[in-house]
Amino acid sequence: MLGVCKTVPGVVSELWGLNEYLQEFWVTQALPPAAVFPFELALEEVFMNVVMHGTTEHLIPEVAVGLDCQGGEVTLRMEDTGPAFNPDDAPPPDLDTPLEDRRIGGLGIHLLREMMDDFTYVHEDGRNKLRLSKRITLTDD
Amino acid sequence: MNQPTSALKTSQESINGVTIVMPEGRLDFGAASEFQAVLEAALGSTPKPRGLIVDCSGLAYVSSAGLRSFLVGARSAKSAGAVFLVCSLSPSVREVFTVSGFSRLIEDFPDRTAALAKVG
Repeated sequence: MLGVCKTVPGVVSELWGLNEYLQEFWVTQALPPAAVFPFELALEEVFMNVVMHGTTEHLIPEVAVGLDCQGGEVTLRMEDTGPAFNPDDAPPPDLDTPLEDRRIGGLGIHLLREMMDDFTYVHEDGRNKLRLSKRITLTDD
Repeated sequence: MNQPTSALKTSQESINGVTIVMPEGRLDFGAASEFQAVLEAALGSTPKPRGLIVDCSGLAYVSSAGLRSFLVGARSAKSAGAVFLVCSLSPSVREVFTVSGFSRLIEDFPDRTAALAKVG
């Protein structure tokens, strides 16, 4: 994977460390603080999908996270070894559906599609691979 | 990793029978159920509030898990006959409300005064 990379087991307690890793990257790259929001959201939504739906009694998936910033565009790559999960199959959120009946991942994935400039999924080499990128306005907001 | 017990603090006050809940920090999956319990406790208190306003001026972050606690709170308020409003959303939090479609379900106001005026 290109860029800075960190690999962790897909267990809830690791999310905090991944978020710290994102925050450190943001500071190092001197990016505007408010613009980190959709990337924090992406980390949580995708990571929690893997934890909730990719973990079985016999398998704790591994999750690799990579960050890169080129010409004002930040790219977040997330790969996991859990079962294939194609976000294209996640239906758009239906707010009238009772919460218990809500399909997996719909709302979080919908938020990321809308808030990121680019959202690409492939499943290859036994891994779910997501690439999310967004152009950052390099002025104070 | 050393995750704090909760990245969200909440406080609340009551003004003329309207309860105002103020979340401060990050409303992520780890804080969502606790926040939902705070909203439901506020709605179930005696005397029953006429309205519940969530003042989001201290809310730095919300995810889909956090949004769901707002939705449950709004539904509980409806069945309790109380008005449920939010106010003082940061631009990022407002974007999440708008993009998720929640802004169609939950009315939001620029500040607490405007929200209180709506409850009447």
